[in-house]
Amino acid sequence: MASRGGGRGRGRGQLTFNMEAVGIGKGDALPPSTLQPSPLFPPLEFRPVPLPAGEEGEYVLALKQELRGAMRQLPYFIRPAVPKRDWRRLPRELKIRVRKLQKERTTILIPKRPPKNTEDKEETIQKLETLEKKEEEVTSEEDEEKEEEEEKEEEEEEEYDEEEHEEETDYIMSYFDNGEDFGGDSDDNMDEAIY
Amino acid sequence: MTQAEIKLCSLLLQEHFGEIVEKIGVHLIRTGSQPLRVIAHDTGTSLDQVKKALCVLIQHNLVIYQVHKRGVVEYEAQCSRVLRMLRYPRYIYTAKTLYSDTGELIVEELLLNGKMTMSAVVKKVADRLTETMEDGKTMDYAEVSNTFMRLADTHFVQRCPWVPATENSDPGPLPPAPILVISEKDMYLVPKLSLIGKGKRRRSSDEDATGEPKAKRTKHSTDNKEPIPDDGIYWQANLDRFHQHFRDQAIVSAVANRMDQTSSEIVRTMLRMSEITTPSAAPFTQPLSSNEIFRSLPVGYNISKQVLDQYLTLLADDPLEFVGKSGDSGGGMYVINLHKALGSLATATLESVVQERFGSRCARIFRLVLQKKHLEQKQVEDLAMIPAKEAKDMLYKMLSGNFISLQEIPKTPDHAPSRTFYLYTVNILSAARMLLHRCYKSIANLIERRQFETKENKRLLEKSQRVEAIIASMQATGAEEAQLQEIEEMITAPERQQLETLKRNVNKLDASEIQVDETIFLLESYIESTMKRQ
Repeated sequence: MASRGGGRGRGRGQLTFNMEAVGIGKGDALPPSTLQPSPLFPPLEFRPVPLPAGEEGEYVLALKQELRGAMRQLPYFIRPAVPKRDWRRLPRELKIRVRKLQKERTTILIPKRPPKNTEDKEETIQKLETLEKKEEEVTSEEDEEKEEEEEKEEEEEEEYDEEEHEEETDYIMSYFDNGEDFGGDSDDNMDEAIY
Repeated sequence: MTQAEIKLCSLLLQEHFGEIVEKIGVHLIRTGSQPLRVIAHDTGTSLDQVKKALCVLIQHNLVIYQVHKRGVVEYEAQCSRVLRMLRYPRYIYTAKTLYSDTGELIVEELLLNGKMTMSAVVKKVADRLTETMEDGKTMDYAEVSNTFMRLADTHFVQRCPWVPATENSDPGPLPPAPILVISEKDMYLVPKLSLIGKGKRRRSSDEDATGEPKAKRTKHSTDNKEPIPDDGIYWQANLDRFHQHFRDQAIVSAVANRMDQTSSEIVRTMLRMSEITTPSAAPFTQPLSSNEIFRSLPVGYNISKQVLDQYLTLLADDPLEFVGKSGDSGGGMYVINLHKALGSLATATLESVVQERFGSRCARIFRLVLQKKHLEQKQVEDLAMIPAKEAKDMLYKMLSGNFISLQEIPKTPDHAPSRTFYLYTVNILSAARMLLHRCYKSIANLIERRQFETKENKRLLEKSQRVEAIIASMQATGAEEAQLQEIEEMITAPERQQLETLKRNVNKLDASEIQVDETIFLLESYIESTMKRQ
């Protein structure tokens, strides 16, 4: 008890190792104590060598950036899936399920037409028409009469192709969680699509 | 696989293939070979997504599969192949220099798609080339096929392993995964295709309205009536051959720097002659006689036989030992010491790194220790002519950076420090490995920083893209100058400044990545060559 008087008394200020071995001689000033954590980036003594400029360097650089962009557009770039929506809580008209059924049952096309025409969205009507034409195209390839329609449809599709496509595949992918169709459908679930 | 490599692979996969593929890929790299269900369970992703991701990875040769006992298929990721993705621009640029635009596009398509059939490649490349040509001209399939065949002949593209044709009559149960075979002689065999056709332009103008239905008809016919003639024969880019080319380039430019242009041309000729005959992992090329070299020199070089002999002798006597003399028949048999050359290149890289990082006096000490192999503290100070205190400081700096290592030689069996020799030495292999690891970390940092910069300025980037799109569409519909001016002013001057800075930074970061990748190539080649010799 007596010897442990709060660090006072003899033995105070003694270290467990020999100070001289570390390099701090007796009577030398101690190095300044550190009051803050070491800086995030150590000071750079020598500036780095400049990067190679010139035609080759620039070409390879441009290539690299192009490749990066190109790979994002390829089908190999898999975007994360759209979250499942609870269809019981949302209005019915937001569901675009007609397309899926039409693709599989081409014979029931004609009777399905009248109920679909009562849809409010004009776009869906146009989509349906173009789809029906596409269906006919698939079933009767040698039918040359359809070629004029196909041309028109192609032009129409070119105009608003992107928007429509994204919306429609968006919903389908989440609604029909069917393993086999994943490979067949296009993978542009542009969840972050703005335009 | 070190942590740095895994991190880099993760960044590369994410940038090029998206998050899902990245998750699966990194999991496979970390845990080794695993079956499908275990992957899905461990990563917590749905089975469909895992399947999709694996398809993408296998298509790009990043994952291989193997059938194990009881019909379980296991998938294994190839980390080193993922890291090759950094080098894609360099491969494409090399193809451009060797085979011009056609070759460049062929290699680009093969790299972007992993594996493709020859007909698909030819068609796509012809279409792309036609896009860039002037109106009215189209690219012929035959020309593209020719370039493709030349690429195959020089081994720059190779066939992927294919499903063996089963001749046995009893079908039996289908194996869960096909066992693909590949034979050396068939690897570069181009199938006899008669691809007739021209590239098609994606046109929206009126004059080609008649072209469209025809194109549609031909498309239908090729899809439905004729089967694709080379179905099942897939091609991929042969990365090893490109590496061989890079290595040759590095050696030639090293010789050019050290000696002169003519000697580098001689070395280039020797390398070209032994391209196909020497396997890529050999420590030195086949011996070539001086007469052969003389005959194969490029046409423009008319140096006399004597001068050539003198150059060869000079090259053989050079301390760097790029070229060695292996005999006297045929005017002197010479070989190129590939392994030694790679070693010199790696050493030069290390020296350069020490110089740039620690200063030229440290570099002097480093070169000294390299040359003398083992040196004591006192000897270093004397030979380098640097005062003791500074020399000690520099040596310790390099020691803590793992460029130099310490070798203990005890005088007494109890290894007492006062009675032991401590020798400084440079172990090139381990220093190269350390530097390689550092390079991986640097590239990962560069990519992260670039992504961070882009994310910071995302709003601004989107705005500028929108404005550009508006301007382009307005120009197409013929707007006046005043309107265009107005639209351009939507981006204020400081914003423009910010965009400029961003662009400059991103370019700098990208160029740095390319530069570090070159160092990685040298170091990896050296390490690989050393490991093969052991």
